[in-house]
Amino acid sequence: MSDQNSTLSRRRLLHGLGAVGLGGALSACVGPTITSRGSGSATGGAAAQVLPPVSDTPATGSVSFAHWRAEDKAVFDTLIASFVKANPKATVTQDISPSNDYQSTALQKIKGGTIGTAFVAFRGAQFVNMNKAGLYAGLGAQPFVDGYFAELIKAGQATSRAQMGLPYQLVFNMPIFNEDAFEAAGVGSVPTDWDGFLALCETLKSKGLTPIAWPGGEPANSGQLINSMAMNNMPTDTAFADIEAGTRKVTDDWFLAMLKQYQQLTPYFEANSTGTSSEPLQQLFASGKAGMLATGSFHIGAVRKLGAKFPIGLIAPITVAADKAKYEGIYNATFILGVNAAGTGQDAALKWVEFLSDPVNAAVYANGTSQHVTVKNVDYTNPDLKHNASWLAKKTLLAPRFQFTNLDIRAAVEAACVAVVGGTSPDQAAEKAQAVIDQKRK
Amino acid sequence: MSTTLTPASPPETPTLPTSEKPSGRSPMAAHPALWLFPVPALVLYVTFFVIPTIQGVVYSVTDWDGFSPTAQFVGLDNFITIFTNDDLFRNAFSNNIKFMLVVVVFQTIFSLVLAVFLTRNSKSSVALRSIFFFPTILSSVSVAFIWKFIYDPNFGLINTVLDAVGLDQFQSAFLGNDAQAIYWVAITQVWFHVGQMMIIYIAGLQQIPQELYESAQTDGASRWQQFRHITLPMVAPATAIVMAYTTVQSFKAFDLILGLGGNPPKSSLDILSTRIYSGFANSQFGYAAAESLVFMALIASITWIQRRAVKATNPDV
Repeated sequence: MSDQNSTLSRRRLLHGLGAVGLGGALSACVGPTITSRGSGSATGGAAAQVLPPVSDTPATGSVSFAHWRAEDKAVFDTLIASFVKANPKATVTQDISPSNDYQSTALQKIKGGTIGTAFVAFRGAQFVNMNKAGLYAGLGAQPFVDGYFAELIKAGQATSRAQMGLPYQLVFNMPIFNEDAFEAAGVGSVPTDWDGFLALCETLKSKGLTPIAWPGGEPANSGQLINSMAMNNMPTDTAFADIEAGTRKVTDDWFLAMLKQYQQLTPYFEANSTGTSSEPLQQLFASGKAGMLATGSFHIGAVRKLGAKFPIGLIAPITVAADKAKYEGIYNATFILGVNAAGTGQDAALKWVEFLSDPVNAAVYANGTSQHVTVKNVDYTNPDLKHNASWLAKKTLLAPRFQFTNLDIRAAVEAACVAVVGGTSPDQAAEKAQAVIDQKRK
Repeated sequence: MSTTLTPASPPETPTLPTSEKPSGRSPMAAHPALWLFPVPALVLYVTFFVIPTIQGVVYSVTDWDGFSPTAQFVGLDNFITIFTNDDLFRNAFSNNIKFMLVVVVFQTIFSLVLAVFLTRNSKSSVALRSIFFFPTILSSVSVAFIWKFIYDPNFGLINTVLDAVGLDQFQSAFLGNDAQAIYWVAITQVWFHVGQMMIIYIAGLQQIPQELYESAQTDGASRWQQFRHITLPMVAPATAIVMAYTTVQSFKAFDLILGLGGNPPKSSLDILSTRIYSGFANSQFGYAAAESLVFMALIASITWIQRRAVKATNPDV
C-alpha cells in the first residue's frame, strides 16, 4: 500500500473535523422546538395518555424506579424482592437522585425515557410541570386507585381532574410536641385558640423550656410553620395560589395579621432563631429541652434516632378563636407515583405501582420509613404512626405553601415571616415580599 | 597504572529517511495524520463546552420551562428583565460582589503572609503548610457542615466560647443576621482556600533569587523595604493568578452557599450561581440560561479589569 493511501490527507481531515463541528452545532439545536413570538402558548403540554387497566398476568421486563429518597432505599429493596418473587420475569432497579438534582437532571432523563419507567414527583410545581409536559400516563382506569383515600390523592390530579399520579406519602407539616414535657408543665390538652397557644408557650417558657424550636435559618424547614399559621387566617383555602395569581396580596390585612402573630411568637422561639438550622434543634427537642419542634411529622424518625423516648404528638397553632377555627392541622400528600408516558415497559411499571398500592406492601413502606401513606386499610405497627393515626381522620388542610408553583414567590412570602421574627415590621416585610411577587408573577 | 581518557563520543542522532528530510514544511503538513491527535480533546471540548454554550445561547432567547417540547422565542426579553425588573438578580449580584471583595482581599493577603513565613523548607514550615493546606482537600459540603455548627447561634462554637469568657455581648446570629450573613460565608471561603493560594505564593517566592535580598541587605534595606521592593513585585505574577482564581472561585461558591444556607438559600445568602440554579429549579430554563450568559460575561469582565489593574502596577505580568 502506498504511503499516500495509508495516511489521511489534511483536506479530508479538515472535512471530518468540519463535519464534527457542524454536527455539534446542529445537535445544539436539539431541545424544544422554538416557535415565534405571539404564536400561542409554548408550554401547552402533550395530550394525556390513559393507560388501560392493569393486567392479571405477572409482569415481565425491567422497571426503572426513579425517586429521590435515598433513605428509603432499603425498604424499597425489600419490596422489590417481594415484587420479583411474585413476578419472576420482572426486575426493578432504583434510580435515586438527590432531591436537589432531581429537578435539574433526573427529570430530563425521565423525560427522555432513559430512566424512570415508574417515577415520582413532589407535590406542587414539579408535578404540575411534569404533568404539563405529558410525562404522566393517566391512571384513571386502574382499579387499584380505589384503594387510596380519594381526598388524599387529589394532589395527583390534572386540572381536568384526571388521576395522573398517586400521592403515596402522607406527612403532617405541622409542629410536633413532647407530650411528657407538656404534661410536666401541667398542660392537659392542646389549646384550641390563639390565646391558649400563647399561654401554652408562656407556661413552657416558665418551666425553662424552649417553647418552640424553629429553624428560621433554613428556608426549606422554616417555611413549614406558615402552613399552620395560615390555615385559619386565609380568607379562602386557595389564598396562596391567589397571591401567585395576583388576585390577593401579602399586604392584605389577613396576611399582615398572620405576620403580627409571628411577631408574637418571637419570644417563644429559641434565641437568634433566624440563624438556626434544623439539626441542632432536632437534638434540642430530642433531649427534652424544647416543647415543640416546628417542622413536621417527617422529623419524628430523626429525633427518635437521636434518642427521644417520650411520646410525640402533633400540634398546630390555632390562630383564631376556637369557634372560628376551620382546620385542626395540616397534611401533605406527596411522593406522587406515576408511570412514564415516554418510556417502554409501561405494563411492568404499572404492575409495580399496583404492587405498592397494595395495603400489605404499603404497610411495609409506611412502617419501615415512619411515614403514613395514602393507601386505605394499612396496618400501622410503628408506634409513632399508630400514636398519631387519629390525625388521618381530623379536619386538616392540604399544606398551602405548596400552592405556590413559583419557588421565588414562595421564598419571598416565607422570607417575610422570617424577617418579622428577625425584627422587621410586618408592613415592611410584606411590602418587600410583594415587590418580588409583582416582578416574578407572570 | 595510568588511564587514558578518551573523549566521549557524541550521542547518535537519528537520521530521517531521505524522503522525510526537513524541507521547510511543518510536521503537520508532512504528516497529516498528526491532525488526528487533537481530535479526542476537541470532541470533549465541543461536547462539554461548545455545545452547552450554544444551547445556552439558544435557550436564553426563549421561555422554555425545561419540560415542554416547545418553547417560544422571546428575543431579548429575558435579558431586559434581568437588567430592569429583577430585584432578586440584583440582590444576588450585590451579595456576590461583597463576597468577592472580602474573599479576594483577605484570601490574597493571608495566603501571601502565610507563604512569606513558610517559604523555607524546614520541617516545621512543611508541617504548618500541610495544616493550612488541609481544609482545601475537604469537600465543600463537609466544610459547610463544620461551619454551620461553628456559626450556630445557640449551640455553635463561637457563641459558646464568647459566652464562656463573658463576652456574650459580642454574640451574633451569624447567618441569621441578614446584614452580616454573606460576610460570614466569605470568612469560611477564605479559611477553605487560603492554603491552596499559599502554595501558589510559596512557588512564586521560591523563584526569587536570594542574591536580590543579599544585595538589598548590603545596601541596608530593612525587612519591610525588602518585602515592599523585592518580594511584592517578584510575586506579582503569582498575585495575578491568585486574584483571578479567587475571583472566579467567589462567583462559583455555589456548594458552600447551599451547604450553609440550605436550598434555596435565603436572599441574604443568594449569589449569582445559586440564583441561576434557582431559575433552573423553578422550571425557567430560558431565563436561567440568560442569567448564565450574563454571569459568564460578568466574570470575564471582572477578571479582565482585575488583570488590567495588576498589569498597570506591574507591566511584567
